[in-house]
Amino acid sequence: MAEFRINRTRAIVLLALASVFLITLDISGGGTSIVRSTFGTFFRPVEGVTRVVTRPIVNAWRSFREFDDVVSENQLLQERIAQQEGAAVAAAASVRLSQELLALNGLPTLAGINSVTAQVIGDSPSNISQTIEINQGSDAGLKVGMPVLNAAGLVGKVTEVSANRALVMLLTDPDYALSVKVIAEPSRRATTVTSLPTENRVTPDEDLTAPSATTTTTSTTTTIPSIPGFTPASTTVPVLPSPNAQITVPNASQLAVRETGVLQGRGPGKRPYVRFLEALPSGENIQVGAPIVSSGGSRSLAPPDIVIGVVSRVVERSGTAGPVLEVELVADLSNLSFLRVLLYQPITETQR
Amino acid sequence: MSRVLQIAASPWTRLVLVTILVLSLQTTLFAELRPFGTSIQIVGIFVGAIGVMHGLQSGALAGLACGLMYDFVLATPLGLGALVLGVVGVTAAALLLPFRESTWWMRAGAVALAAGIGEVVWPLMSAVVGLDGWLTPRLFVSAASSLVGGLVLAWPLLPVAAWTLREAQGSN
Repeated sequence: MAEFRINRTRAIVLLALASVFLITLDISGGGTSIVRSTFGTFFRPVEGVTRVVTRPIVNAWRSFREFDDVVSENQLLQERIAQQEGAAVAAAASVRLSQELLALNGLPTLAGINSVTAQVIGDSPSNISQTIEINQGSDAGLKVGMPVLNAAGLVGKVTEVSANRALVMLLTDPDYALSVKVIAEPSRRATTVTSLPTENRVTPDEDLTAPSATTTTTSTTTTIPSIPGFTPASTTVPVLPSPNAQITVPNASQLAVRETGVLQGRGPGKRPYVRFLEALPSGENIQVGAPIVSSGGSRSLAPPDIVIGVVSRVVERSGTAGPVLEVELVADLSNLSFLRVLLYQPITETQR
Repeated sequence: MSRVLQIAASPWTRLVLVTILVLSLQTTLFAELRPFGTSIQIVGIFVGAIGVMHGLQSGALAGLACGLMYDFVLATPLGLGALVLGVVGVTAAALLLPFRESTWWMRAGAVALAAGIGEVVWPLMSAVVGLDGWLTPRLFVSAASSLVGGLVLAWPLLPVAAWTLREAQGSN
């Protein structure tokens, strides 16, 4: 009996030391992912069966807790759909135009990045991590670090991958940080000029295609030259304004200003912050409602111009420290169902 | 061959198998049922139940083993959960040490209290290893949630915990 006790004490000490060693190894970026994926191989089938068995209980709980919310949310959504149907058509045209301009200038766009659609199959089992589990993994080409979006905007990044499962760290996790751009609205002063005579007027066709294409009275189809990684469809340039119309030309100094900062999660129930390393140049004023998008760049965790949210509060700090922006995310992280994983692995994550 | 069978029949093998089942409940059912936005830690409650039923050493050992398995499915650093659940197992057993004989409600209370303490220890340990942002007042909501959940779930889990390591107790 005494021998058994000694062995057990030794086992406790050994396991405790092993835990400390594993923590050190994991935090320093050691290869612990293989241990997790091996355990996952045995654990996932059991988890799958348990999920099926417990689904009626989960559904009953949800119908009990969320019925009223679903009804009111449904009414609200119907109202919003009606409001946004018209705006969506105009927005889609703007997005397409923007993508074409980016492609024409050889700049990267989201349209050129392949993606995988995944379904959320589980929430975080722990109270100290903001993760969700999705039903796609390395078999579908997922790798650690890939950005995850839903229909509204950025949701998070892939942190663990097994064959057909992956863990996604949400934007609100305190460990999540991403370089972002805040598009500050300039003051709306603009120069208004009367349009030039018809013979001198520059048409969009002249800007986008050969100078010979100068049709001004009907819609014109424009085909964009082939650019690697991006193949836009034919688009229709709208009819030009009448000869007597006025053209509003914003001053160059009054175009939208893009300020780069770092977005960081702050845990559940708290909106993420964007911090700037230093005070913004004088005259630049970030207003509540300014959109925030990913900044991109060779070492960024996400490609550029993924919508993240809008500024909900600007907190000024004393001294040379720049302001801190509180961000209202466009993606509703409490209600995720189908997600899109961009098959874009950042350089900083390629070794994982 | 007999050695293999002996290992397969050992209570510690049984502990691993039962833990996988408990863990699957944690990642499915209890990840979805979130009273007040928090997840009840059934793994912590199970470890607490083992500590109460089998004593300090078994509680610590089971906590370390279950915690390590829990770490495999979490995104937190490997080994963190092992240390936390080791503390939970020891705490649950230690809470009953002053009493010569414990009643059913004392055992349930000790399990619940240990599970609640575990929810406070976890963010503390996270902060120690450099994971900031979890030491917020919300951890008391998580602790309260696990405490109440522990009072309810201790009923079915105490007999399961007693059965899981029964032979080990006999050979002690």
